[in-house]
Amino acid sequence: MRRYQDVAMRTAYLVAPESDAADAVQDAFLKAYAALPRFRDGAPFRPWLLRIVANEARNRRRSADRRAGLALRAAALEPRVAVAASPESAILADEIRGQLLAAVGRLRDAEREVIGARFFLELSEAETAEALEIPAGTVKSRTSRALVRLRTALAEIDGGSSDG
Amino acid sequence: MADQPLHLRPDADLETALRGLGQSIAWPAAAGGTDGAPDLAAIVRARLESEQRAAGLPVYAEPPARIERPARTRPILLWRPARRALIAAVIVLLALAALAGASVLGLPGLRIILGPAPVTVNPPPSLEPSRSPASGAPGSVMKLGVAVPLSDLDARAGFPVIWPSDPAIGPPDAAYIDPTLSGQVALVWRSRSDLPDTLEPGIGLILTEFRGAVDDGFFSKALGTGTTAQPVLVHGQHAFWLTGDPHFLFYTGPDGFIDDGRRWIGDALLWARGPITYRLETALGRASALRMAESMP
Repeated sequence: MRRYQDVAMRTAYLVAPESDAADAVQDAFLKAYAALPRFRDGAPFRPWLLRIVANEARNRRRSADRRAGLALRAAALEPRVAVAASPESAILADEIRGQLLAAVGRLRDAEREVIGARFFLELSEAETAEALEIPAGTVKSRTSRALVRLRTALAEIDGGSSDG
Repeated sequence: MADQPLHLRPDADLETALRGLGQSIAWPAAAGGTDGAPDLAAIVRARLESEQRAAGLPVYAEPPARIERPARTRPILLWRPARRALIAAVIVLLALAALAGASVLGLPGLRIILGPAPVTVNPPPSLEPSRSPASGAPGSVMKLGVAVPLSDLDARAGFPVIWPSDPAIGPPDAAYIDPTLSGQVALVWRSRSDLPDTLEPGIGLILTEFRGAVDDGFFSKALGTGTTAQPVLVHGQHAFWLTGDPHFLFYTGPDGFIDDGRRWIGDALLWARGPITYRLETALGRASALRMAESMP
């Protein structure tokens, strides 16, 4: 039923993990309500709403203490103990999952947003472009760049663990 | 190769791994309940309510309630020419429906929102039990607009105003046009033995007619969970028989809600023909309401 609520919360959390996602979403929903008359004819609603959410979360990110934010982000991104693992999550060993999560957490904000939107929220490229206010081509290029960066980070972790 | 380190596997594997990862992140919870997280919908609605109350608009004040989703009808609006105001208004309602955990049924120019009923800050005057029937023209205390002679109705309304052709019912006892509600027309019959009281004391039948589909305004009904909307057909077109708890009518345009919350509405039949939407309020039940609607030319 509350079909936009969860995805909005996740968007806010992805954009500003150190901030209060519920607070950002509340403000975003109220702003969206006020902005509805300016909603473009025939445009899809979800990415439009998520764009407002992402902006609201970004405002909070900018005003937060960046260093404290990064520290909190690492803690906040701890994986939940799998209760009912899906086939997809089952293929990931806990250890790798932790490493991957940490690597995503260390990405630049813009790259984490695009990776999160595409793979965690499973938005299409077009939706991601709209929600993050970037051209579709940038979604593509930023995604591949972030994937390369994740590979590099994982390789470093892998190399580090072999050495140790 | 599942045994290979992830960073050596193809992009597709890394993407699959990321999708899987998305499912194991401890996302912040939005809905109330399971882990004590705040009920976001309720908070947002409460904030909307306080802002709207300050602006003198109708508010949502009931806690969200889950209701059974009724059979969804074809969104008739989709094949109508898209108009900016109309689309914006649809989105307002869909967004509100999402916030309120409600579902939406459609008629041309009309959306019925099933979910927590909006309530006015003060009970509508017509709900006050002490109020006695009007001594003047029927409906004169209902704030239905400006009284208009039947002979002037079509010209003043800008569309042909019609009513049931059954001679036993006869022409309305009074007619009103509300210029503040895009010229909404209200026809009122006094209650009598064959037309028992509606929710309005002394009023046996109320027929409201308004431009829904081509007006800049977009009409909607918000129903509480104690009201049901039964899909019916009038002249072969989708229509709804609303019954149960009293409900409430408001409409929204590009600038937000316009409150038609002057009174609560009892059992009513809602249907549309062309650009005009009709609402017939009667205490006679569904079959009689349908018969009256079908008898309108």
